[in-house]
Amino acid sequence: MNGNSFIQIYFDSDLETKEEVYDFISEVACAQDSCQQKHGIIYQFNEREKAGSPLIAEHVLLPHIESEHVLESRILFFRLANPIRWDETIEDIRLIIAILLKKDEEEAMKKKIAAFTRSLADEGYVDRLLNLEEKKFQKEIIKFREES
Amino acid sequence: MKIVGVAACTVGIAHTYIAQEKMENAGKKAGHEIAIETQGTIGTENELSSQQIQEADIVIMAADVKIAGRERFEGKRIIQVPTEVAVKSPNKLIKKAEEVLKQKQAQ
Repeated sequence: MNGNSFIQIYFDSDLETKEEVYDFISEVACAQDSCQQKHGIIYQFNEREKAGSPLIAEHVLLPHIESEHVLESRILFFRLANPIRWDETIEDIRLIIAILLKKDEEEAMKKKIAAFTRSLADEGYVDRLLNLEEKKFQKEIIKFREES
Repeated sequence: MKIVGVAACTVGIAHTYIAQEKMENAGKKAGHEIAIETQGTIGTENELSSQQIQEADIVIMAADVKIAGRERFEGKRIIQVPTEVAVKSPNKLIKKAEEVLKQKQAQ
């Protein structure tokens, strides 16, 4: 894992299924080892998916929740070692960007995250996140962090 | 063509802002004047003025939740889609707006 606590990068991640991804994220999100909190986070991610697909571009997912179970807002990047099938309709996923927004987060942090999500409208930027090798990938993320 | 719109999603931190950027970029690329208001977790940003709404040829609502102030658009030609459509196919969405307007003008 690379990155500060707000941004975390998992390059060549060997997560293989949606369940593994949400399980991993819930572990990161809960500092206290509470099963209930973790289940709450996984439940909220699944509920969010019912409202709309997390797919934002070919090969890229953006699962995100605002939750009382999240102790610290974070953006997690998973560049997967191997493309994964997410569900019956979504496959060949290579990059997952998960946003964990703490309930009643401060406006400054919300603005920082919103600035980042806006940058995902740039196909060139998303393409770089999909294809750059590890060092350059990190630089690309750091660049965003410094600009925001 | 003058386009105005609103983007709003359930959490209000992701699709709202990507949809806004993508619609504005696609609209400008197609040579239109476009302004998209966001109703997200930060609140309302880039709020549309009554003049902008009045002058608009068409309104695009990319929303997964109820839009605040929907009555401002009463009487306007509205295209309503989920944010997902604006995020995944912004160029097609602008094309659809062009077609809807053409049909309106032909009537």
